[in-house]
Amino acid sequence: MKDLKRKFAAGLGSFKLSFFALFFALLTGAIAIALSGYSPIETYKAIIVGSLGSKQGIILSLSSATPLIFTGLAFATAYKVKMINIGAEGQLYLGAMAGAVVGAYITGLPRLVHIPLTLLSGALVGGLIGILVVFLKVKFGASEIITTIMLNEIILLFTSYLSSGPLKPEDSVIPQTHVIQETAQLTRLAPRSQLSSAIFIAIAAAVLIHILIKKTPLGYEIQVTGLNRRAAETAGISITKMYLITFFLSGAIAGLCGSSLVMGVNRRFVEGISANYGYSGISVAALGAYNPLSIIFSATLFGILKSGAITLNRTTAVPIEFVDAIQAVVVAYVAAPRLIEAVLSLKNKIGLKKEKSLNRQQNLAEGEVIKDDGNI
Amino acid sequence: MMEIFNILEIIITSTLRMSVPLILASTGATFSMRSGVSDLGCEGMMIGGAFFGVLGSYIFDNAWIGLLFAALFGMLFALQHAVLHVTFKVNATLSGMSVNLLSAATATLLLQIIWGRHGNSPRVSAFSKIQADWLKKLPVIGEMLAEQNILFYLSLVIVILAWIYMFKTNSGLRLRMVGENPQAANTVGINVVAYKYFGVLMCGLLCGLGGAYLSLGQLNIFVDGMTGGRGYIAIVINAFGGFSPIGSLLGSLFFGFFESLQTIFQGKLIPSNIVRMMPYILTIIVLSIGIRSSKAPAGVGKYHDE
Repeated sequence: MKDLKRKFAAGLGSFKLSFFALFFALLTGAIAIALSGYSPIETYKAIIVGSLGSKQGIILSLSSATPLIFTGLAFATAYKVKMINIGAEGQLYLGAMAGAVVGAYITGLPRLVHIPLTLLSGALVGGLIGILVVFLKVKFGASEIITTIMLNEIILLFTSYLSSGPLKPEDSVIPQTHVIQETAQLTRLAPRSQLSSAIFIAIAAAVLIHILIKKTPLGYEIQVTGLNRRAAETAGISITKMYLITFFLSGAIAGLCGSSLVMGVNRRFVEGISANYGYSGISVAALGAYNPLSIIFSATLFGILKSGAITLNRTTAVPIEFVDAIQAVVVAYVAAPRLIEAVLSLKNKIGLKKEKSLNRQQNLAEGEVIKDDGNI
Repeated sequence: MMEIFNILEIIITSTLRMSVPLILASTGATFSMRSGVSDLGCEGMMIGGAFFGVLGSYIFDNAWIGLLFAALFGMLFALQHAVLHVTFKVNATLSGMSVNLLSAATATLLLQIIWGRHGNSPRVSAFSKIQADWLKKLPVIGEMLAEQNILFYLSLVIVILAWIYMFKTNSGLRLRMVGENPQAANTVGINVVAYKYFGVLMCGLLCGLGGAYLSLGQLNIFVDGMTGGRGYIAIVINAFGGFSPIGSLLGSLFFGFFESLQTIFQGKLIPSNIVRMMPYILTIIVLSIGIRSSKAPAGVGKYHDE
C-alpha cells in the first residue's frame, strides 16, 4: 500500500513537472509575443481554434502527432538504460528507405503480407543501426552520442544519394523513389489528409513498450540497469545485453516511424521526409517524462501546437516560428525540475505554503527526475 | 603538370576556407568538454552567431561589430546551456538540444519580425579577402593564403592561444582538472562552477565566431539552415581530435578537405553525397580500430557536490 502511494506521488510529481513546464513555456511565449507587438491571447486563441476547432484541424493535429509518438518513444526506450539516442533521425531515414524499397520493388503479395513486411523492413534496419551503435560503444568505447551523430550524417547522405541516383524514377526531377505498391500502402483515415492507420501502430508500439518495461522480468532488468548500472552488474544482469535490447528497440521504433511515413503519408521516399522528427522526439520524450503512455499525450500536444501553427499563419500576422520557440522553451523547463522549483519557491518566499513546497520537493525527487550520468 | 598544380591549389584554398567554421566551433567544443560540460549546443550557438553577426553588421554597417555581436550572442546561448546544465543540473543532452531548438527558432522568428522575410536576410557588409600584396608573393602558398579573409588568420591564432592556455598555464590545468574530476577539483579549492561557466561561455564565443564566418566570411547574408549541422560535425571533430585545440584544427582540415572535394567535383567523378560520407566513415573506422579513442574527459556531466 505504501509502495502504491509512493508510486502515485512519483507519477504526480512528474505530471506536475510537465504541467508547470508547459505552463511556464506558454507564459514565456506570451511575453515574447507581446514584446514583438502581437496579442498573446489572440495568438493562443488562433492556435487552439486552428488545431481543435474543426475536423480538419483535429485530423492535422493527429497526423502531426503520429511521427512524434514514434520518435519520442524511440528516445525514451534507449533512455530507460540511460543511453542517449540522438540517431533517431538517421534511423528514421534508413527505415523510410527500406520501406520504400520493399514497398515498391516486391510485387504480387497480398496486403496482409506486404504491409507487415514493409513495416518490419523499416524496423529491422533501424534496429540494426542501434545494434551497430552499441557494438561500437561496448567494443571500442565510442560514445553513442558521437556515433549516432555520425550515423545520422552518413545515412542522410546515403539515402539522398539513392533517391537522387540509382532509385530515382526516370521522369522525376526531384530526389525521390518510385511510388510503393498499393498492397503496401496504409489506409488513410480521412480523405485528402495525412492521417493514416500509422497512428494505431504508434499507439500500439507505445503500449507494448510500456508493458515490456513495467510488466516483464526483462523490463525489470532494464529498469534496474537504468537506475544503477553497478548494482545491476552485481545482480548478474548483463549490461551489454540490456544496451543491445533497448537500443535495438529504440532504433527499430525510429525505423518504423520512417517506413510508416512512406506507407501512410508520402507513398514513396522523398528527400526531407522527416521534418526533424528525430530531434523533436527528444522534446516529446522529456515532456512525457520518458513514460511510453505519457508520450502519446505529449506527442499529441506537440501535434496540436504544430497544426495550430499552420492555421496561425493563415489567420494572423504572428509568425509560425513562435510555436517552434515555445517547444524549445518547453524542453528547457521540463528538463529543469530544479528551475521550476526555484520559480515556484519565489512565490513561496512571500510566506505561503512552505510545507507544501517541501512535499513537492520530495515528490519531484521521487519522480522520474532526470539525472545526468556523464555521457559523451 | 601545370593543370595538376592548379587543381591542387584550388583544393587547398577551398579546404582552408571550408575548415574555418569547423576549426572555430570544434575549438570551442574543446573548451566545453575540457571543463566537463557536454557540447551538444554547438549547433545552436553557431546559428546564433551566424544570425546575430548579420544583425550587428546590418545595424552598424560594420562587419567587425557584426563579429562582436556574433561572439556575444553565441555566449548568450551558451549561457542558457550553462545555467540549465551547470546550475540547474539538467541533462546536458536536453539542455544542449534546447539551445539548438531555441536559437534556430529565434533566428527564423527574428528574420520575420525585423525584416519581414522568410529564409534569408538582406545583404550586409561582410569580410573580404585580405589585402596584402606581400602575401601573394610568397612562393607556393602565397596565392592560397591571400584568398583567405582575416577570420582565417584569427582562427589560427585562437587555436594556438587555446592550446597554450589549456596545456601550458595553471588556469588551463585547473580547467582540465574540473573536467576530469570535479569533486577532487572542488576539494583543492577550485571554483568548479566558475570554470564550467568559463568553458561553456568560451564554447559559445568560438561557435558564435564560427557561425559568423559562415554568414559574414563566406557570404554576406544569413540563410536559414546555413550552419547545416556543422555544430554537430564540430562535436565529432572534437572527439576525433582527442579534445585538444590542435587535434580540432587537424580534424577540421580533414573534414574541410572532403567538403571542398565535393564542391570542386560537383559530383562529376563520384556522386557528391558519397564524397561527403567519406570523412564520417573514416572517422568511425579510426575510432573503431582504436587508433584514437573518443574517450571524453572523465568528469563530463559530473557535479562536484553530488
